Amino acid sequence: MTKMKNPYLPEMATIQEIIQETHNIKTFRVTLNNEQSMKNFSFEPGQVGQLSVFGVGESTFVINSSPTRMDYLQFSVMAAGEVTQRLHTMQVGDEIGVRAPLGNWFPYEKMKGKDIVIVGGGIGMAPLRTLLLYMIDNRDDYGKITVIYGARTPQDLTYSYEFEEWRAAKDLNLVLTVDNEAPGWEHKVGLIPNVLLEESPSPDNTVAITCGPPIMIKFTLEALKKLGFEDENIYTTLEKRMKCGIGLCGRCNIGTSYVCVDGPVYSFAKLKTLPNEL
Amino acid sequence: MAKYLKKDDLGSWLKELGETYKVIAPVEEGDAVVFRRLTDERTLRIDRQATQGPKGVLFPACEELVSFKYVKDPENPEKTKVEVKETVEAEPTLIFGARPCDARGFDVFDGAFTKCAVKDNYYMARREQAIVVSLACTKTETTCFCNWVGGSPDGTGGSDVLLTPVTGGYLVEAVTDKGEALMGGKLLSDADDARQAEAKKLLQEAKDSLREAPDFDCMPEQLYALFDNMDFWEKQSAKCISCGACTYLCPTCHCFNITDEQQGKEGSRIRSWDNCMSHMFTNEASGHNPRPTKAYRLKNRVGHKFCYFPDMHDGHIACVGCGRCIKSCPVALDIREVVTAAKECRLPEEETSDD
Amino acid sequence: MLEQLKDTIKKALPELDFVIGWGMGFDALHATPLFMYEPEDVDKLVWGPLNVHNLATYLPALKGRKVGIVVKGCDSRSVAELLQENLINREDVVIFGAPCRGTVSLTKIRKVIGNTGLIEDVNYADGTLTVKAEGASHEMALKDIRADKCGYCRFPNAVLSDHFVGEKRAPQVEEDTFEDLAEFESQPFEERRDFWMKEMDRCIRCYACRNACPLCVCRDHCVAQSRDPHWLSQQDGVRDKFMFQIIHATHLAGRCTTCGECERACPVDIPVLLFKRKFTKAIKDTFDYDAGLDPEATPPLLAFKANEDNIKEKEW
Repeated sequence: MTKMKNPYLPEMATIQEIIQETHNIKTFRVTLNNEQSMKNFSFEPGQVGQLSVFGVGESTFVINSSPTRMDYLQFSVMAAGEVTQRLHTMQVGDEIGVRAPLGNWFPYEKMKGKDIVIVGGGIGMAPLRTLLLYMIDNRDDYGKITVIYGARTPQDLTYSYEFEEWRAAKDLNLVLTVDNEAPGWEHKVGLIPNVLLEESPSPDNTVAITCGPPIMIKFTLEALKKLGFEDENIYTTLEKRMKCGIGLCGRCNIGTSYVCVDGPVYSFAKLKTLPNEL
Repeated sequence: MAKYLKKDDLGSWLKELGETYKVIAPVEEGDAVVFRRLTDERTLRIDRQATQGPKGVLFPACEELVSFKYVKDPENPEKTKVEVKETVEAEPTLIFGARPCDARGFDVFDGAFTKCAVKDNYYMARREQAIVVSLACTKTETTCFCNWVGGSPDGTGGSDVLLTPVTGGYLVEAVTDKGEALMGGKLLSDADDARQAEAKKLLQEAKDSLREAPDFDCMPEQLYALFDNMDFWEKQSAKCISCGACTYLCPTCHCFNITDEQQGKEGSRIRSWDNCMSHMFTNEASGHNPRPTKAYRLKNRVGHKFCYFPDMHDGHIACVGCGRCIKSCPVALDIREVVTAAKECRLPEEETSDD
Repeated sequence: MLEQLKDTIKKALPELDFVIGWGMGFDALHATPLFMYEPEDVDKLVWGPLNVHNLATYLPALKGRKVGIVVKGCDSRSVAELLQENLINREDVVIFGAPCRGTVSLTKIRKVIGNTGLIEDVNYADGTLTVKAEGASHEMALKDIRADKCGYCRFPNAVLSDHFVGEKRAPQVEEDTFEDLAEFESQPFEERRDFWMKEMDRCIRCYACRNACPLCVCRDHCVAQSRDPHWLSQQDGVRDKFMFQIIHATHLAGRCTTCGECERACPVDIPVLLFKRKFTKAIKDTFDYDAGLDPEATPPLLAFKANEDNIKEKEW
């Protein structure tokens, strides 16, 4: 009889820290209970994990800490469904299950030596944060980094406590924007695609990575095309309803591509080859 | 060397095999024929296609993946810990009376669950301990179309042993090494040439009785081209009532759900059959659904069988032509018609080029 | 009569998105719903005892579109009930009715001929169905192989229609006496329990019973799969399967017209109509009400009456 690793069996983990990011987003920092597992744990920027609340179920989140900082694994959770709502009630010291890493990752090797444009909207900043921290920690491998991050209101921006650290990195331009004027807001006001056009980063030797709500991605893509970016130099990371996370349960496919295994990271060049079913 | 089993000895043979294996066979239950553990109280029914195939033997309608229990942390009674246990179960099992189409369904399962990056250990554990003894078809039904999708009334894919009904009994042939192990039974005698010739003749007649098979090599390309033609899919799916009969009775459909069920402090994480014809299957927490109507969902079902799966598995169509989705469909939606219509649908581009 | 029906539909078709009727399916015994978009589609229409489906099931999802529907008497009651509950708009639906002599039960035919997968030809004339299968010819009187519901049918003609074709037929019975239910209930509790344990065990949870039901209108938001509320588990046990049937039957109490689609649709032949018969009788006894006869009526469990005629709680 084959003895193999059970891909459905979560590792037990403990919540070490909880950060209230916005009114409906919390960030959880967790460590695997088994010290050896935690020590040996490795992942790539952009990979996801399934978090379990036993009795409620599993849900998929990107590991938004960086592989260069392995004190904990970080997941940002927006309260929406059954699992996410229950996660929001959990406390430091509570145990959850983790199945990770799953899926593919940002081709950060291919991006070396290039200028980087990161365009994030709302909770869509989570996967981009991973990549950003990785690049900050390997700063010399990459050219100029432009980060355009927007949310509806200043209170909806996640990771605001880190903005100073991001800005302190060499040759990094962080552009923040919100939809409407707000008291005390000193940054941009306007929709992300418009701010992107205003900033007008050069497409030469540049890779753009974007994540956010579908409507934002749609118009960001149009803006990037207007700026002259080629499809193969634009990446995004997709969200789909997932259950197994290992390409078997059959619900997250776009044609032959299973978002949980072949994704969640796609170049627009790749997406164009798939059936139109996002 | 082919063997022969007398019809009268079939019961004894199965009983003998029952000492080594859990024997699962098609039996009468109410007005249906379903695969159940063969017992003295149950009536074996192999004279017609079972209402439901044997898929559930290797891929149960519901199974526990892990069990969990909330307990007080002995070191800190204020704290609760979760004990989690995996529950992989398998025992030597013999599936008797699968039709070649049913057995071929396991080929598709093998592709989907074992020839992939991450393997399904629950299915694999059962598959390894299972032996499939199939029954060749000497009659074909109006809904049979195994020959359209690469099968045959005497196909051996997925089977370990193949029985062919002949006068007075069955011709018994081993297909795999696993099946060879069954050939030594004292109730089996060597089959003479006449019996082998009879089997050959009956099977040829069965093959001839099937409708001529269309060429489906073009299907992946055709279905990709039809992907955005929602008018086509809306018409094809108009009569579908979005139930799961087709998928649950399908020998190849393998989509599933994972849910937690808890009673008190204990519970199970279970895997249960799910189906792509259901709205909830792809509905996201945000309310967005990439397959919002039955037209999108039928497109996915047909697309998966005749396009995506073949693209991923060396052209192997994920349909075995058993016809259950047609005959058990509450509205008799005929997948043959849908696929044929897709094949024959003139694409807008072609029309333009003709102009 | 069929030709007259076709002509009537063809005349109305230009004003409609489509008309739903029946055509022949994969063999001569199995009809299938037919969506008629063009006049040539209407030529495929059939009428007779093989028209087993209740097409009213399609109507709620088509609300807002102008469609036509061909109905048997029992189907028309579902249309009336949908109108009662404002699940469809009267002005959107054109109803074509014709007299019905009863429809077959394919399960009963299978019991007679052994296998309904080997059909060569089927003919129906004067109350007799002749089925040719595997070289043999089987003659069956319709009354022996008709659906149970046809045995207690009181409405062989559409209870409401815009176009009625053919001569109205007399009902099978004047009164539904629920003998089938009485017979089942005459068994001791243990036998009834064992019966359902065995029958429900076979359920594959495909929910064909639910989706074929014209009045099961939660559709994509059914408690059977929902997690909020989480009333049913996905465990494969009789408990949850039985529970679903009870929820279904309870939701249909006073609304169900016993069209029998739930039972007919069941791919593994579980006699789930029996649950609804039980509730239908309870509603009849308590409220003296028949569902789906009057589009203006309010189903008793959707209404409040301070003093019920048959519930004398003040005298308890």
